[in-house]
Amino acid sequence: MSHAAMMALMAISPLILVCLTVIVVMLSIAWKRNHTLNAIVTAVGLNVALLALLFGWSLGPVDVTSVLVVDDLSRFGAVLVLMSTLACVTLAHHYLEGYEGPRDEFYLLLLSAAAGGLVLVSARHMTTLFFGIELLSMPLFGMLAYTFRDRGALESGIKYMVLSAAATAFLLFGMALLYAVTGTLDFAELGEALSVSGNDPWLLAGAGMLLVGLAFKLSIVPFHLWTPDVYQGGPGPATTFLATASKVAVFLVLLRLFQSTLAFHENWWHDLLAVIAVITMLVGNLLALTQNDLKRLLGYSSIAHFGYLLVALVVNEGLAVETVGVYLVTYVLTTLGAFGVVTLVSSPYVATGGTADASPLHHYRGLFWRRPYLTAVMTVSMLSLAGIPFTAGFIGKFYIIAVGVEAHRWWLVGSVVVGSAIGLYYYLRVMVTLFLHEPGMQRRDARHDWAERAGGMVVLGVATLIILLGLYPTPMIDWVSWVAGS
Amino acid sequence: MQIAFYLSGLVAILATLRVVTGTHPVHALLYLIVSLIAVAMVFFALGAPFAGALEIIVYAGAIMVLFVFVVMMLNLGESAVEQERAWLQPKAWVGPAVLTAVLLIVMIVTLVSGDYSGTISGETLTAKMVGISLFGPYLVIVELAAMLLLAALVAASHLGRSDAHDEADLARDRQRELSEQAQASARPARETPIDASQDTRSTQEGKA
Repeated sequence: MSHAAMMALMAISPLILVCLTVIVVMLSIAWKRNHTLNAIVTAVGLNVALLALLFGWSLGPVDVTSVLVVDDLSRFGAVLVLMSTLACVTLAHHYLEGYEGPRDEFYLLLLSAAAGGLVLVSARHMTTLFFGIELLSMPLFGMLAYTFRDRGALESGIKYMVLSAAATAFLLFGMALLYAVTGTLDFAELGEALSVSGNDPWLLAGAGMLLVGLAFKLSIVPFHLWTPDVYQGGPGPATTFLATASKVAVFLVLLRLFQSTLAFHENWWHDLLAVIAVITMLVGNLLALTQNDLKRLLGYSSIAHFGYLLVALVVNEGLAVETVGVYLVTYVLTTLGAFGVVTLVSSPYVATGGTADASPLHHYRGLFWRRPYLTAVMTVSMLSLAGIPFTAGFIGKFYIIAVGVEAHRWWLVGSVVVGSAIGLYYYLRVMVTLFLHEPGMQRRDARHDWAERAGGMVVLGVATLIILLGLYPTPMIDWVSWVAGS
Repeated sequence: MQIAFYLSGLVAILATLRVVTGTHPVHALLYLIVSLIAVAMVFFALGAPFAGALEIIVYAGAIMVLFVFVVMMLNLGESAVEQERAWLQPKAWVGPAVLTAVLLIVMIVTLVSGDYSGTISGETLTAKMVGISLFGPYLVIVELAAMLLLAALVAASHLGRSDAHDEADLARDRQRELSEQAQASARPARETPIDASQDTRSTQEGKA
């Protein structure tokens, strides 16, 4: 085997290992349906992939055939994807213990989706972008509708599938238009063609459709309509994955597109994007105000957060990549904390026929008096989502505002500030609910031993990290700026 | 070859139109076969006979025959036809029809304006060339497609699981638990009541 092929194999070994774990878990299911065993095999596979990723970091940027590139940015994304998948595995093990049907398929789907995320973060060709997105979404249909006897889960799975198929159609049509004009699907070559003949209407239509397809996955206004319903109905671990790994992978591929292909030289593109960012921030935050359902609220808040992240893409110079990196790290940690608590309170799964998870806000009323530590985790996550100092969320928001100020985008900075102010109201409302007096009858509660389980430990660890990174963010910033700089 | 391309393209569009407007599922599927064959013709006209042959073998041949069989087995009667007819009120299709008419106008304008710089030409793509590009630069894509199919299969097999299957699985699990209990009862009698109480509790939780 040639040296280059060996390098390429080593560079994509995390992807190969995750795919291999899928096969091993499948064989293990065929041999014996043992929930704990399969969860452990999945976690081991993901950890080995993570180790392979860290050891492969010294290889530097490696081209794997002409469709994938493994560089620092893609390794950074892969770390986030694998970490959040691991957290989902631990949460899913606790959650699915109450599920009567087959439980092990969930891990197969989770691993496949993680493989899709790994492909997406190293995509540098339209074919890998498409297959990555499909490999990420296809298992998610199954995961969201996993507890399909609940109408909520089934509804969320079907909604995501139908709307996602429509978005994929846009994506493919956009790619076809770009290919028809330029005759290439490579990001860099497309970027050259766009910079030469940037105002060709077919190229613009293709780029626009591509953006629509990706904006759907990131639930950017006006393509956000699916988000609250899917977040509310889906089983806890599946929603956690959707909110963390899936969004991170799609956003990183969008960032790569903006670095190479869609590096528009016309100002009106940036203005258009800025308008979309402002609308996304405001709509997400305003709609979250009236929610009485925690999972819907988190869905709207994720819309707003991706509005903030768009600021970095609009600016797309200077600190932009670093900002995206820092913000994604803090967003993933915070979302894992918030959804982790929701999943733990909903664990183990209880079939209700409607929405199985503890998503209405009144289920959390007085949680502090029953589960003080869990409430502490939730409080920290909410503070971090709101961007209060001494939490990781503050560092992320600080970077967003810094990058906006640096580029003199005052409208964007203003909307970030207004959005955060609105956000503070509903995040604090959730916190107040947690500390209110307990109602007479309690509906949902975490198990007594939640903190001794893997899922509980992960959630506690995440909360600790949120505070640590809020107090001492230097290691994270050094890491991200090193990734962005190289 | 141009005339063949446009003619078969037109046939594909008309046939697909009949697929959508047909009220009888089997008739609609027959039109879909015509449409797929027309698309295969388009491939031939573009100089890609291998893709055209695959289109016929895989889509028109295998998948469509499967569809026709399944639809015939489902045995949809008059009620389904009535329902489809009820759905096809003008208010349901006028909007989409106008939108597609716009697309049609776009195409006609392009044709009338006489800008034929993008003519159809080029070398013939053989099976060998398709294979070389599939297993050369796009090797990763082939493997990813396999993973995608696997994931779709797992999702479909889980979601498509019928209740009868579940019941059978659960019954088998219960039987195994019972036999394990029987084995446990052969051990010292002190352990048995604990096991039994745990078992009943777990089944009760499951029912709740």
